[in-house]
Amino acid sequence: MDFRFSEDQLALAESVREFLADTHGPQVLRHLDKDGPRDPNIWQGLVDMGLTGLMVPEEFGGLGLGLAEAALIAAECGRACLAEPLVDTAFVAVPWLLAKGETGQLAAILAGVCRIPLPHAINPWVADGDGAHLKSVDPLRILTKGTGGDDPHLLDLAALMSAAQLVGLADAMLAQAIEYAKIRTQFGQPIGAFQGLKHQLASCAVAIEFAKPVVWRAAQALQDEVPTRSIHVSHAKVAATDAATLTAETAIQVHGAMGYTYEVDLHFWMKRTWALSGAWGSRAFHLNRIDNAVLGDMLELGPQATFA
Amino acid sequence: MHLHYTPEQSAFRAEVRAWMEMHVPAEPLITLECREGYDQHVEWERTLAAGNWGMVTWPEEFGGRGLDLIQWLIFEEEYFRAGAPNRANQNGIFLLGPTIMEFGTEEQKQRFLTPMAKGEVVWAQAWSEPGAGSDMAAISSKAVRDGNQYVINGQKTWSSRAAFADWGFGIFRTDPDSKRHKGLTFILFDLNTPGITRRPIRQLHGETGFAELFFDDVRVPVENCLAGEGEGWNVAMATAGFERGLMLRSPGRFQATARRLIELYRRHQAEAAPSAREAVSQAWMAAQAYAYNTYSVAAKIIAGGKIGAEASLNKIFWSELDRSMHRTAMQLLGACAELKTFDDGSVNQWLEGYIFSLSGPIYAGSNEVQRNITAERLLGLPRVGAG
Ligand SMILES: Cc1cc2nc3c(=O)[nH]c(=O)nc-3n(C[C@H](O)[C@H](O)[C@H](O)COP(=O)(O)OP(=O)(O)OC[C@H]3O[C@@H](n4cnc5c(N)ncnc54)[C@H](O)[C@@H]3O)c2cc1C
Repeated sequence: MDFRFSEDQLALAESVREFLADTHGPQVLRHLDKDGPRDPNIWQGLVDMGLTGLMVPEEFGGLGLGLAEAALIAAECGRACLAEPLVDTAFVAVPWLLAKGETGQLAAILAGVCRIPLPHAINPWVADGDGAHLKSVDPLRILTKGTGGDDPHLLDLAALMSAAQLVGLADAMLAQAIEYAKIRTQFGQPIGAFQGLKHQLASCAVAIEFAKPVVWRAAQALQDEVPTRSIHVSHAKVAATDAATLTAETAIQVHGAMGYTYEVDLHFWMKRTWALSGAWGSRAFHLNRIDNAVLGDMLELGPQATFA
Repeated sequence: MHLHYTPEQSAFRAEVRAWMEMHVPAEPLITLECREGYDQHVEWERTLAAGNWGMVTWPEEFGGRGLDLIQWLIFEEEYFRAGAPNRANQNGIFLLGPTIMEFGTEEQKQRFLTPMAKGEVVWAQAWSEPGAGSDMAAISSKAVRDGNQYVINGQKTWSSRAAFADWGFGIFRTDPDSKRHKGLTFILFDLNTPGITRRPIRQLHGETGFAELFFDDVRVPVENCLAGEGEGWNVAMATAGFERGLMLRSPGRFQATARRLIELYRRHQAEAAPSAREAVSQAWMAAQAYAYNTYSVAAKIIAGGKIGAEASLNKIFWSELDRSMHRTAMQLLGACAELKTFDDGSVNQWLEGYIFSLSGPIYAGSNEVQRNITAERLLGLPRVGAG
């Protein structure tokens, strides 16, 4: 029993965080918003970092890492509000194909020349697919009409990775609110010195602190194929959605009217939060799965079952 | 990340479970907050000690088993699963014990830890004063050095179990000219020392949970001072860290409450509001999240890390979780919620628990203060009045 990421895992996430901070800042989001939401240079940068091959087995030239590492990096993608469909292709499609024993596309995914849209019955759209466009509130999402089958493993993988992105989004929104609270002054002091704001921001910190381990635990449960993994994925999705929603609403409040403008960057993160909160199973869908398991008699309860 | 118990850890769980099943009293004890109940709980401490379960993480030489934090968490999980009684000596074993371990001299460790683990000496925490609650640096009770003794005068209040306990650990102003955090000293004292008057305070449920302590020229030997004169604030902050952080409220407690709540919901499902369904699932989720977080903190500490101001996040989370679980139970009980005992004669523990849960966001540093600490020390926001 060791609920910790290794030094290597944390160093990897750190390097991705730094890379994205350098190459995918708010000015990039604005450029994508203006000139079109996909940029081959950004994608190529991710490919060069080896991220498309993160979960591709070593025998196919990838890094052969697991869902725990992928979730950690998906959180970094959320923090950077990454627009490219790295998470869908590299952290959802790859493990899904591997689980089905389909290895034919791995080399192309690794090389960055193949992206895999993920149609599923749970969503009334397909992200980064072909076909007639639907407009998302998130200007950097590309949605097309379409739906797919109801593969449960695909749903679990994609819901988990949405949850991981949501905790990263929440972290980023909290950081933006804190920065603003330090520099904006009213009544002769930084607004961050007012308890009314401090306490709201502290509540966000609590929600995020206790959502993250749920996400990591769900990632490990999927990786280890524990029988209750779907419940843990749903738990992760609900906890991450709640933490990110609270943080989004708090962050705009802290910014005052500035937060209601297009000029302040916050809206990019808020919109991604709204999108991912509903994607791959709404809060109600996931809560229902938990209700049925916990309140029905489907889940073993008791201390020995905490990690079962 | 490895989220499986080792065979040794599972075997340890089985050992604790078997012992608890053998020894936990079938009937719940009377509340710890009256003389008779206190005595029953002290008796239970002795039973635990006889099984060598007093404080499993302590070294064997101090009455412990030298186990690691994961084993401690397992022990606690099984403890609450079995519905074992509250720990009469929780302020000793969870707060003072670790503090002595960190700051005490060899002599103090020998003298105080073993009787604590054995349940022979029950400790009360004497920090708060009428004028120093959240603002603990406003402490004004004095300890004046006279040869190899301190002479203590002043008043402490809200001291849990002090009406019946044996010893107290307090913070006193040893430097009369000092202000705020400076000049405070952490002193251990026998509650039966001449000059100490204990006045029990009735709590809102009617029982005597805590007491006021009046000090009237109370003489305490200087060797009862922990970590040196003037170090009181630093020592107290470490103790408070244990209180808010890992030790005082382990996840097993809240997971057990969540399970009882699930059972209660199943019994009341037919008439329960849809909102109760969500609240009960939330209870399970939050108790699980608390467990995951605690296991990750424990892993960090085992690897040599420390917890600092993060302890405040913890304290906010468990206290608000506990209150919301009990509130949900009260709502599920509906018209039966107000009954102190049910039709079948059993005590309405949800009611007792709900009342107690209301104190969680107050003691161990109020949640408002914890949010201040979180905002200022973890998030880096400016202090109040910063221009
Ligand atoms: C059941 C129980 C057991 C206890 N056991 C012990 C014990 O064993 N030993 C011991 O020494 N003490 C004990 N206490 C006392 C406890 O530590 C204090 O109650 C606590 O520190 C708060 O102090 P106070 O009650 O004076 O409240 P106050 O400090 O008067 O606070 C009242 C309200 O004002 C708020 N407030 C105060 N300062 C601020 C601020 N800076 N910002 C925002 N809000 C603020 C508080 O959050 C609270 O809501 C116990 C209390 C309870 C309820």
